[in-house]
Amino acid sequence: MSPYLGKARPRPDAAEKATGRAEYIHDIRRPGMLHAAIRFSEHAHARIKGIDTLKAERIRGVRAVITAQNTPEIRLGFLRDNVALKGEKVRQFRDEVAAVAAIDPDVAAEAAAAIEVEYEPLPALFDPASALDEGAPLVHERDAAGRPLETNLMPVHFRHSSGDITAARSAAAHAVSGEFSTPLIQQSCMGTAGALAEFDPRMNLTIWAKTQIPFLAQRDFNSALSQIGLAGRNTRVIVPALGGGFGTGLDTHCYEYIAILLAWRTGKPVKILYKRDQEFAYLSPRQSSTVRISQGCDAGGRLTFRDVHVTQDNGAYGSWGATYPSVMMIPATSLYRVPNIEFDCELVYTNNTYAQAMRGYGNPELTWALESNLDELAEAAGIDPLEIRRINCNEPGEVTPMGLRVTTCGLRECIEGVGERLGWKNKGGWGAGKKRGVGLASMVHVGGSGRIYRSDASGVILRLDDYGNLYVASGGVDMGQGLHSALQIMAADSVGVDPERVFITQTDTSTCPWDVGTHASRGAFTAGNALLMAAEKMRRQLFEAAIDLYPDLVEQARRSWIRANPDTPPADFDWRASVAPERFQLRNNLLSLRDTPPIPWLEIDLAKLIRAAHFRAGGGEMFTVEAFYDPPSELPDWERGQGNMSACYTYGTQGVEVEVDTDTGDVKIVAMVSVLDVGRVINPQALRGQIVGAIAQGVGYALYEQVITEKGRILNPNFTDYKIPTAVEIDFPLDLEYIETDEPAGPYGAKGIGEPGLTPTAPAIANAIFDAVGVRVRDLPITPERLLAALHARYDDHIPRRAPNAR
Amino acid sequence: MSSYHRPPSVAEALRLKRELPGSSFIAGGTDLLVQMKDRVRQPTALISIRHLSELTRIETDGGARLGAATPLSDLADDSALMTGWPILGEALRDFASVQIRGSATIGGNLCNGSPAADAAPALIVLGARVRIAGLDGERLLPVEQLFEAPGRTRVREEELLVSIELDPPLPSGHGVFLKKMRTAMDVSLASIASLALLRDGRLEEIRLAAGSVAPVPMRLHETEKVLRDRPLTPERIAEARRVARDEVRPITDIRAGADYRRHIVGVFVQRALEATLEKGDR
Repeated sequence: MSPYLGKARPRPDAAEKATGRAEYIHDIRRPGMLHAAIRFSEHAHARIKGIDTLKAERIRGVRAVITAQNTPEIRLGFLRDNVALKGEKVRQFRDEVAAVAAIDPDVAAEAAAAIEVEYEPLPALFDPASALDEGAPLVHERDAAGRPLETNLMPVHFRHSSGDITAARSAAAHAVSGEFSTPLIQQSCMGTAGALAEFDPRMNLTIWAKTQIPFLAQRDFNSALSQIGLAGRNTRVIVPALGGGFGTGLDTHCYEYIAILLAWRTGKPVKILYKRDQEFAYLSPRQSSTVRISQGCDAGGRLTFRDVHVTQDNGAYGSWGATYPSVMMIPATSLYRVPNIEFDCELVYTNNTYAQAMRGYGNPELTWALESNLDELAEAAGIDPLEIRRINCNEPGEVTPMGLRVTTCGLRECIEGVGERLGWKNKGGWGAGKKRGVGLASMVHVGGSGRIYRSDASGVILRLDDYGNLYVASGGVDMGQGLHSALQIMAADSVGVDPERVFITQTDTSTCPWDVGTHASRGAFTAGNALLMAAEKMRRQLFEAAIDLYPDLVEQARRSWIRANPDTPPADFDWRASVAPERFQLRNNLLSLRDTPPIPWLEIDLAKLIRAAHFRAGGGEMFTVEAFYDPPSELPDWERGQGNMSACYTYGTQGVEVEVDTDTGDVKIVAMVSVLDVGRVINPQALRGQIVGAIAQGVGYALYEQVITEKGRILNPNFTDYKIPTAVEIDFPLDLEYIETDEPAGPYGAKGIGEPGLTPTAPAIANAIFDAVGVRVRDLPITPERLLAALHARYDDHIPRRAPNAR
Repeated sequence: MSSYHRPPSVAEALRLKRELPGSSFIAGGTDLLVQMKDRVRQPTALISIRHLSELTRIETDGGARLGAATPLSDLADDSALMTGWPILGEALRDFASVQIRGSATIGGNLCNGSPAADAAPALIVLGARVRIAGLDGERLLPVEQLFEAPGRTRVREEELLVSIELDPPLPSGHGVFLKKMRTAMDVSLASIASLALLRDGRLEEIRLAAGSVAPVPMRLHETEKVLRDRPLTPERIAEARRVARDEVRPITDIRAGADYRRHIVGVFVQRALEATLEKGDR
């Protein structure tokens, strides 16, 4: 049994963060550093007629004012439809029109405000439906290649079709349809966005960036260097301590390119930081979506078809968030067993703020619709909501209509576990007048990374120094989720060193090996697998060196032991006969032989072996190994919706008991249960943090959070007006349970767990509300005002003391 | 902001205020500093008053006198005050966060002029008065008349609110404070305070006030009329709920719609009266 695996251990960065030593982007300063401020658009859609920067340039302390007119164009975005500084027109309120570098942030802000911009307003579009109307103005007249566009529909295609949905629909014993919507959501990172860009004298760039994709960012920034005439120069991306990522770091951002342009223009390090209101207004939130769904089943409750149509308001530019449907397809095709499926989506350009990725990446949006609608189907079929999920449960070994190859699957245990822990069997008979109800919802997500790029790999370099310290360099980013904790424990266990002797190298493209990025719940899975491969190499090298060196080391150890303990009886065990690479074992920095009597001098400090090997006469060696792991998965064909995009899949179910105040519309969570198939628990403490945090976000998604806009302008850019749950709102009994299915593809059997925790929360709560009061709200968040309106619509002011569906 | 002053007395503070046009008094600073950061207010100078002992005393001898610069947490910790006027404790209990309550002052909460000031409805139903000092002397004003418009009170530019004065508690009065927020850390979207004196099933006295549902914290006179000197019955309560709903003048903003706020005021009036009815004639 491993001494560290599955045992609670504080994260290696915990003390630094708790004592204020961790260095965030806010803390980093460079000699001669300037501060940047951006002038943003004042229109949702307008042609730029002129920009006058004279007044700004004359302000004392201003070092540069840049616009599209005086800098090279830098294109960015997954569709290359965005530019760092807008020259021709603005397409959203947050469009970057000009930027300033100055000696302090206040001067920079003052100068940015002094820039005069003349606009010719254009008709603007604020919802997908009007953007798709015939004759609607175009957000983009041309694509990145200059070809004219004729519609606001984005050129991205994600479809799936299997079986015969028309036949299945007409044959279904029961079928229900519904339209479900989700709002714009702010990721609410505790650490706001920022970057610091600096050129060295050879014009190579170093950028401290709040990114989850240091290596793809390096590629993006190198491409920007080419665009400003610095082809062949390199970018070094350093990732400081991050106060949350949640998907905000999956793209490179205009503000980063603006910092680069200003550093290039001034020859000085330039830092840009967003304050909280800027983070709300100028960083991309989670997309808003509408999902139209119908599902049907036979008389026995077996699902026969599922028809899903998604509309996403993408806003003005394409980010990676525009590939949400790639992940929506997973639950759409593969949550429960459904033979006949249609999935399609339309992503629409509008003049709203452009949206980007957030934790769950489309899955919470789709699961919200799917699991709410499944309860409606259960109601129509007269089947208990838990029972209908059991009937259609996924099983290990199945291949889903999308071609996902399910390896391990603990969904049945998750559903039944929630039922048991929530007291589902006794769910009837809540006290009269107490409008309480229970609900549940399940989820499936990529558990073995998600291939959305030609490589889905992670590299790890391990290095042992002369004192037995193990350095782990990984391209994976710890943005607070605890990747470094998982790597520390896995490294200690797999190499055989004390966890306190494991040091995780700061993420830096100049010292860490390539990694596609930390998203899709993949960090611990892919970096963990790469680490195990590297650890194997390390042990092999150590044990091979030990064949020659161990006997001498033991002899030395024996002599000094006997010197210290002269009365020791001689051991008559011939340990020399046991020396073979496969007989060595390394634990807690101690090298020894397997199956030998407990003779003290047979245990050799790893550092001694390393030094002996390092300084060996006639050619020493160092202990540095690398490994590169690319999971066994396929890049799906998105037009057909086919392909096994992950090495394995994570399943889970959450159950909720709520109490509804039918006078005020308030929903109180009485208790929550979460049962997740995590494959294997690596660090229960870090895992609990991940799940509790995700559930808090899920509760916010369900009940409180929404970015409110009026004609494209954000009205609630602060935490007074944008509500995330506080400790009070999540102060309910939370029962967490893990199913360990020991996934063969996972490191130590573990699956990815970063996103699953928030995915089923909102529909579980909505289903519990329905159980309590017989009313279904189909738009998130379920605010008291919305729920009350639904109650009044249903009961016309005469809300019964007891819900009609209460059993 | 060019200077910061720490005068030794109220008189000196008032003199400084006259001398420094565009200056502002500062006590807890929990609203003012945020407004200064956002450049909503840009005072030329700050005159601190929170260190003045004459402004941070709590005196209870039958009635009560609360120094205007007393932090809310000090009020909540004063057992004589909380026992005599429990409704004030209810209004302060869920006020913002522990940190804010430690800094924000009772006078500041009123002088900020917010329609959502949680202390206001409670003080209005208690019949509290504010003592306002100027260079020419002092005057008393009922809290009910203090508010002029959102962000504006009747404390004039060169005056300072120095204390809040409470009459002795109504014998056997029953007070209730209710407020609705979106989460535990929020500006209330509707609040009500009720002070009732029930004798032999009749409401001998009833005072109702509401916050966040009009340009200023308001007394619900129409609703009181329906109730005063009449038997408190479920029918009467239902009527009061309807009248209160019509009496308030809320707006729709990002926190809630006007109709929802009206509805909540009605529900809260009903709940407050039901609580009084349940408590009975004791």
